Amino acid sequence: MAETSIQKQSFAQYKANNTIEEGDHVIAYLNRETMQLIKVQSNKTFHCKYGNFRHDDMIGLEYGSKVGANATSGGRGFLYLLYPTPELWTLILPHRTQILYVADISFVMNSLQLRPGMSMIESGTGSGSFSHSLARTLGPQGHLYTFEYHEERAKAAKKEFEEHGVSDWITVQCRDVCKDGFNLENKVDAVFLDLPAPWDAVLSAKKAFKQDKMGRICTFSPCIEQISRTVLALKDHGFAEIQMFECLLRTQDIRVIPMWTIDEATEKQRAFENKRKRRAQERGGTKKQRQSDGEVDNDGAKAEAPLTGTDDDSVANSPQTVDNGADAGTTDSSAVGTPTTSLSEQGDATSLVSTPVSTPVLNKSVDVSTPEPRERIDPKNLTVTRLPTEQPGHTSYLLFATFVPRVSTKEDSQ
Amino acid sequence: MESTMANNPDIIHAGENVFIRMPSDNVKCVLLKPNTTISLGKFGSFKVNDILGKAWGNTYEIYDRDNKIRTYIPDEMNEVEETENNNREIVDNRASQTLSVAEIKALKSEGLRGELTGEEIVNKLKESHAAFDKKTAYSQAKYLQKKGKKFHKIFTPIKPTTYTVNEYFYIKNPAKIRDIRMDTLSQLLSFSNIHPGCNVLVVDDTQGMVVSAIAERMGGKGKILGIYDGDNPHYDVVKYMNFSQEIQDTIKVLSWLRIHRGPDEKSPDELQDVTQLTGKDLEGYHRRLKAYTIVEESRKILFEAKFDALVIASQYQPESIMEKLLQYVQGSRPVVVYHPSKEALLETSTWMRKSPDLLNPQLTESWLRKSQVLPGRTHPEMSTWGGGGALLSATRVIDFPVQAALTKRERLAMERQNTEAKKAKRTREEEEKSSGDAEASGTTTTTTTTTMSTTDATAGEDAGDGHERESKRPKQE
Repeated sequence: MAETSIQKQSFAQYKANNTIEEGDHVIAYLNRETMQLIKVQSNKTFHCKYGNFRHDDMIGLEYGSKVGANATSGGRGFLYLLYPTPELWTLILPHRTQILYVADISFVMNSLQLRPGMSMIESGTGSGSFSHSLARTLGPQGHLYTFEYHEERAKAAKKEFEEHGVSDWITVQCRDVCKDGFNLENKVDAVFLDLPAPWDAVLSAKKAFKQDKMGRICTFSPCIEQISRTVLALKDHGFAEIQMFECLLRTQDIRVIPMWTIDEATEKQRAFENKRKRRAQERGGTKKQRQSDGEVDNDGAKAEAPLTGTDDDSVANSPQTVDNGADAGTTDSSAVGTPTTSLSEQGDATSLVSTPVSTPVLNKSVDVSTPEPRERIDPKNLTVTRLPTEQPGHTSYLLFATFVPRVSTKEDSQ
Repeated sequence: MESTMANNPDIIHAGENVFIRMPSDNVKCVLLKPNTTISLGKFGSFKVNDILGKAWGNTYEIYDRDNKIRTYIPDEMNEVEETENNNREIVDNRASQTLSVAEIKALKSEGLRGELTGEEIVNKLKESHAAFDKKTAYSQAKYLQKKGKKFHKIFTPIKPTTYTVNEYFYIKNPAKIRDIRMDTLSQLLSFSNIHPGCNVLVVDDTQGMVVSAIAERMGGKGKILGIYDGDNPHYDVVKYMNFSQEIQDTIKVLSWLRIHRGPDEKSPDELQDVTQLTGKDLEGYHRRLKAYTIVEESRKILFEAKFDALVIASQYQPESIMEKLLQYVQGSRPVVVYHPSKEALLETSTWMRKSPDLLNPQLTESWLRKSQVLPGRTHPEMSTWGGGGALLSATRVIDFPVQAALTKRERLAMERQNTEAKKAKRTREEEEKSSGDAEASGTTTTTTTTTMSTTDATAGEDAGDGHERESKRPKQE
C-alpha cells in the first residue's frame, strides 16, 4: 500500500505521495490545544490519555486520517494524523526562547518580499519557529543563513533542521553577529534581525546584501527604544524607506445566542409562574409522578386530560423546557449573558436545538390537537463573534527598510 | 547573456508595469514603453529609457531643462535639534508668507522647467516665511518636509510584488481586490502553506490578487487552478506582476460551467470531420479545438492533480463551493476562506464545524498599525486602515471509520438510533400504564432526548475534541 517515496519527508514541502511511511514525522492532533509530534516507527506505540495508538496502524494511511486507539487495550479515543507544516510546528515546538507566531511571520515574509530561490539571513535562530516558515517560502532553490550565539540552541536547531528535512537549504552558524558580523558578502536578498541590539549588526548586514540589487531588512524588537536606535543605525548606513508596523492576529470565538424580545421573555416568565402555581395545586402527586406526567405530555401523547385542562398555553411545554435547561446548563450555562438564570439556561438549550433534529419538535406542537395552542417560544437565534478575554496586545515592533543598490560609476556620470 | 538579462527580476525592463512613487507619496502605475516620456504632473517628467536596465530600489531626481535624472538620497531622517521655541507667538495668518500666490506659482513653473531645483524653491519659501524662525524645531522640519512634497521633483520606481501591488490597490481601489490587506493576504499564504511545487485550487474574486500572491510564492513550480464564473476569469491584477512565462504557465483556469462535460458538449472532432474542412471553416475548427483542449487540460488537472490547498476568496457562499471542491483536496491540507466581512463567514464556520471532512475551523481577523519613525518623533500614524478582511481556515481530514471510536457520521446516526430506542421504550411503558390508550405515538420524537443528544454533539464540537465527545456520547442502548 505504501509506495516508497524517493523524496525524504520535509516540513517545508509535501511529499509526492501523501502516505504515512516508516520514519515520517506526524503531528498527532488530539484537540485544538493538544498536538504532538511523533516519529512513526513500526512496533512502537504512542500513548496518550485517549488510549494507545500503534504506529503500525498509522503506516500506509493517508495524511489527515483519523486513527482509533488500539481496541485491545480498551481505548475508545481517536486522533488525527496531520502532516507537519511550519504553521503546525510553530504551535507545538519546544520553546528554547520566545518565538515568532504566524501573524508576525506572515507579515515579515510578505513585507520582505520573499520569493522562492532567494537567500536571506536570520539572526538569531532561537527556537527555529521562523526558520521553518522561511525554509518553506525560500524553497530548496533558496538559502537561509541562520545565526545563533547560544551554542546549545544552535546545536539543537541544527539537529532539528536535519530531522525535519530542511537542512539542505538552511545553514546554522553559532556566532555572535553583533561582535563578529555575519561574515557574508554580496550574498543575500533579505535580512531579519531578532536581536537585543540589532543596531550593532546593521553594518555587517549591509555588506551581506547583494550589492547590485534592492534588498529588504526587518528588525524585530519589543521595545520602542530599541527601534529608535535601530532607525538611526539604518539611516546612517544609507537604508531607505524606513517604516514601522505592528501586527496582531485575533481569533474570534463564534457562538449562537438567542435574541429574545421582551414580550417573549415576559411570556416565558408567565409560563413559569403558572407552572409553579399548578405544582402547588398538585399537592397529592409525588415528584416522580409529576415528572412522568410531564414526559408523557412531552411525547405528544395527545394531551392527557388533566394537563391540557389548565388555563395556560405554554404550561404543557414547561416540563420539557425545564429539562432542556438543565441539560444545557451542564455543558455551558454561563455562556449566555441574558439577565435571568432561567432564561439563559433555556436560551442555550434552544439555541442548540436549532439543528435539523428540532424539526420534529416544531411538527409536534403543530400536530397537537388540543383546543389551546401550545406554542413553544423559539427566540430568534443570532450567530455572533467575540474576542477572547485575554489576547496578545503586543508582540514586537517590526521595523522595515530597503537596502539601496550600489550605483555604478557609469550611472553617476549620466 | 541576453536572455539572462531579460529574466533578471532585479532590474527594470521595458514593457513592464511599474509603480512610481512621487514626493506626495502618491503612487502611479505606468507601463514602461521604450523611447517615451512619462509625466508626473507637477513633479515633472522623465524619459523611460533613463531607468531601463537599472536596479530597483533607487530614487531619482529630475533636473535640468532636459528632464535628466540622477540618483537622489532622501534626507528626511535628519535629527532635529531642540530649540527654545514654542508656538506661543505663532499667529495663524496668511501674512507670514511674504511671497504672493502669483510669485509662488512663478517659482513652481520655473521648477517644472528645470530652472530651479525643488530644494531651491523650498529654501526661497522658507526665507520669505516671516515666522519660520519662531517655529519649534519639529515644526520647522515638518514645514520643510511638507513643502518638499510639493516642489521636489523626485520619484522612486517600485517593483511590483505581492506586497507593493496589494498596497497599491488597497489604497487606490480596495473594492477591486475585495479589501484584502497586506497582512491578511500574508496570513492567507501562511495558512494555506503555499510553497514551490504544490497544487492549489483557488476560487478568486479578488481580480487575481490572491492568484498573483500564490503564483509568486510558487515561483513557477506546481499548479494553480482557478475556478471562475462568467465569461472570463478576470484576473486583472496578475498582469501587474510582470510574471515570467514560467510563472504564468502555472496558472490555469476552469469555468464552473465546464467542470463536468455537458451532454450536448462535443469535441470539435465529433462535430466536424477535419479532412472535409477548408479555409475559414478550418480556421474555426482549429480555434474551437484550441479552446476545447484548454478546457480538457484544466479538467484533467482538477480531477487528477490532488490539491494541496483550497483557497476561496469568492463573493459566493463558501459552503456551496466547498461542497463541490473539497473532494479534490488531499488529507491534512488547508482550506482557507477569505471574506471582507467576518459576518459572512459565521454560518460557514458553523457548517465547517459540523462537517466530518474538516478539522478545527478558526476565524481570524488581523490588526495592523503603521507608525512614523523619525528620530525623536515616533508615533502611530494619524490615520490608519479600516478592515483588512477575515480568514476562516481549517484542515481537510479523512473521516476514516475507526474501530475504537466512531466517525462523526456514525455517531450522529447512532444518536438518532438511541433516540428512537428510548422513545420506543417509553412508548411501551406508557402503553403498560394506560393500556387501552392506543394513541399512536410512534411518529413523534421525544424532545428531551433529542435536545440532549444535540447538546452533546455541539458541546463536543465546540471543544474541538473528539474524546470529550466520546465521553459524552450516550451509551449504546
